[in-house]
Amino acid sequence: MLVPLDMVRAGEWAEVEEVSGQADWVGRLAELGIRRGCRVRVMQPGSTCLLTVAGCKLCLRGCDGAQILVRPIGAAG
Amino acid sequence: MLTVALVGNPNAGKSTLFNALSGLRQRIGNYPGVTVEMKKGQFTTDGVTLDLIDLPGTYSLAARSPDEMVAVDLLLGRRPEEPRPSVVLSIVDATNLDRHLYLTSQLLDLGVPVVVAVNMIDAAAAQGLKFDYAKLAAALGVPVVPIQANNGTGLAALTAAIRAAADQPAPHGLTFPTAFDEVAEQLRKELSDEVPPFLLRRALIDIGGYTEQWLVERHGDRFKVALVGAREKLAAAGHSVPGVEARTRFAWVRTAVAAAVTKPAVRPVTGSDRIDHILTHRVWGTLVFLVVMFLMFQSIFLWAKPLMDLIGSGQDAVAKGVQSQLPSGPLRALLVDGIIKGVGSVLVFLPQIMILFGFIAVLEDCGYMARAAFLMDRVMSRCGLSGKSFIPMLSSVACAVPGIMAARVIENRRDRLATILVAPLMSCSARLPVYILLIGAFIARPGSPGWLPGLVLFAMYMIGFTVAPLVALALKRTLLRGAPPVFVMELPSYRRPKIGSILRRMGGAGWSFTRRAGTIILAAMVIVWALLYFPHTDANGESYPDRIETAEDTAKEKAPRLKELNDKEDATDEEKVELEALEDAGALPDKLNGEWKRGSALGRTGLWMEPVFKPLGWDWKIGVAAMASFPAREVIVGTFGLLYDVGEVDTKAIGNAKADDDAKEKAAGLTRAVQDDWSKDPVRGKYGVPVALSIMVFFALCCQCAATLAVIKRETKSWAWPAFTFVYMTALAYVGAFLTFQVGRLVVG
Repeated sequence: MLVPLDMVRAGEWAEVEEVSGQADWVGRLAELGIRRGCRVRVMQPGSTCLLTVAGCKLCLRGCDGAQILVRPIGAAG
Repeated sequence: MLTVALVGNPNAGKSTLFNALSGLRQRIGNYPGVTVEMKKGQFTTDGVTLDLIDLPGTYSLAARSPDEMVAVDLLLGRRPEEPRPSVVLSIVDATNLDRHLYLTSQLLDLGVPVVVAVNMIDAAAAQGLKFDYAKLAAALGVPVVPIQANNGTGLAALTAAIRAAADQPAPHGLTFPTAFDEVAEQLRKELSDEVPPFLLRRALIDIGGYTEQWLVERHGDRFKVALVGAREKLAAAGHSVPGVEARTRFAWVRTAVAAAVTKPAVRPVTGSDRIDHILTHRVWGTLVFLVVMFLMFQSIFLWAKPLMDLIGSGQDAVAKGVQSQLPSGPLRALLVDGIIKGVGSVLVFLPQIMILFGFIAVLEDCGYMARAAFLMDRVMSRCGLSGKSFIPMLSSVACAVPGIMAARVIENRRDRLATILVAPLMSCSARLPVYILLIGAFIARPGSPGWLPGLVLFAMYMIGFTVAPLVALALKRTLLRGAPPVFVMELPSYRRPKIGSILRRMGGAGWSFTRRAGTIILAAMVIVWALLYFPHTDANGESYPDRIETAEDTAKEKAPRLKELNDKEDATDEEKVELEALEDAGALPDKLNGEWKRGSALGRTGLWMEPVFKPLGWDWKIGVAAMASFPAREVIVGTFGLLYDVGEVDTKAIGNAKADDDAKEKAAGLTRAVQDDWSKDPVRGKYGVPVALSIMVFFALCCQCAATLAVIKRETKSWAWPAFTFVYMTALAYVGAFLTFQVGRLVVG
């Protein structure tokens, strides 16, 4: 099941399936580790969310220009 | 001599390494046409001088703006003002090699020797990470040196590695899929002149990036068609851009890290995680944030006070010294009223600026600022901005100049402009004297409730806090229209701030404030003074200053007799006539002063413009004071002093309980003089409160600060934006003051 990133619950892990939108933002997000196949953990959900990506904390608010679809893997530790 | 470019992600510890290597031998390099500033330093090791250039922190070399392109051009040796770097020093964070080596992999394509400095090895060891640096160097194909920049560990080995690398050939770049190389080669043939292969590849990968825009501009639509065709070919071959770059580079990084780094099975919960649990919490985090903000403003106020008083008394001493040494005349008046007061009114704000910068440096260095921006993003996104706009707007409550400079962290050009344009609406510290003078004169009257003055002052600050987001929203809907950008920001691990770097930033801020703003305000003060001083002779050619001095001397001589007659209860008619004459003589200096100011260049302009001020409830004096305050809004208090004929007025003494009695008397005198003057007038006598409120609203909304306009010009590289800010804020202020007075008149009437 694919869901937008802001639908993932707190503490849940998810695998990024698709990042679409303006090419420059897709590129910028890929550099920060948000790209197809990467695992992220949602620390705080919401429109402005807090993520752990590759051992790093990022805060992120997507928009029409960049949509992130993920596949939740379920809560972990 | 070797030139070394220092490149790394934000938060990799780049500035710490730069300061550790170059010490105090630093300067700032500016580049025409862009806002980028690069720090340059120099150090000598074993008789070889190394020039170090600190490039802005970046996650990749994919340039999206002219600002980002400067760094790429510099690395390729395409900036005429800098030689091509002999060695590129790539600094990476040991605790996050996966991410940081991405940029390193791009640096390997530049065709310049690269040295990798693995920083923060202490934190990595604490997390249980183990490194084999020899294997890492072998996997990356370039020298690797472990360092701990904040205590100097490994710096000697690093400089040795840099010197050795300068004589070595450049590393081979990464191997991209064959299809990619073929397409890039075909694209090269489309171009008539030589373009570095690095840039050509960037143009191919970075869709809509700066390199593409630049090449299309130079080679026309034919190149654009070829570029689109090349990308389609790559997509057909299963290597669509920009994905092909991320896949290729991260695969390479993964192999290198797997060979050289042993990670613990479970990522330990770090101290940063535990702190973040509270500081980014929606409720607790917001609460902590409010407390931090309160403490910050409170300490700026408390700590700056003694220093401001010190500068103030120093300024008074200098003024008195000059006054006693020079004969009266235009020169003395210029030195005392124009120059010493002009410089003084600027320097008084220096402690505030430096303390504010110190606070911001501490909050940024320890990593808290990113958390605050995260918390505020929810609010800021409602007015079309993002959390990154919050820091500049907050700083502007102290002073808009550092606030506008702080907007540099915003990558999106439209957001950055919107933030810069609304930052001056926040009520800065220079508005405080105006508010306090007028609230003291017209709101805090006997019989009014005690909470009223505080409420009015609070309301003045709220004007900024509500109008700024509304204007930002209006700008984002019209002039700066565009989709709300993605807000993405790394939250760095918490770190102990370094005293040295904080003091350096405070000193730098203080110096640039004194130099830039000081020159502008100084010049403006001299001009305002001159416009109020000249012409200084009356119709008969007699000098006003001389006549006032003579009149003052006469009044002083007759003072005992005046008091005697005043005290006498059963005065004869003769004595009553004498008393009247004496009172007239006593009032003569003020009368002459008023006549002089009315006849001065600024006074005449004010009288001519009186119809403009009338709808606001103002007379020509208020209008002149407001106009004189356009270079710097503090000027209004001094100008009121000159116009309402009470002589010297000490701005600092107003509302200051500890000011010496003499100064306080003068200040109280100004409050009384304004009250007296207005009570004689039919409009201002009846509508004193609405007029006072209309002045305050005008000052709250108006852009009366030459330094702010100058810094907007500097940051936007255009005169159009400061002009726009000036026009919209002045219009807003006029409308605001007009509505305040008219509504107030209805309420009072």
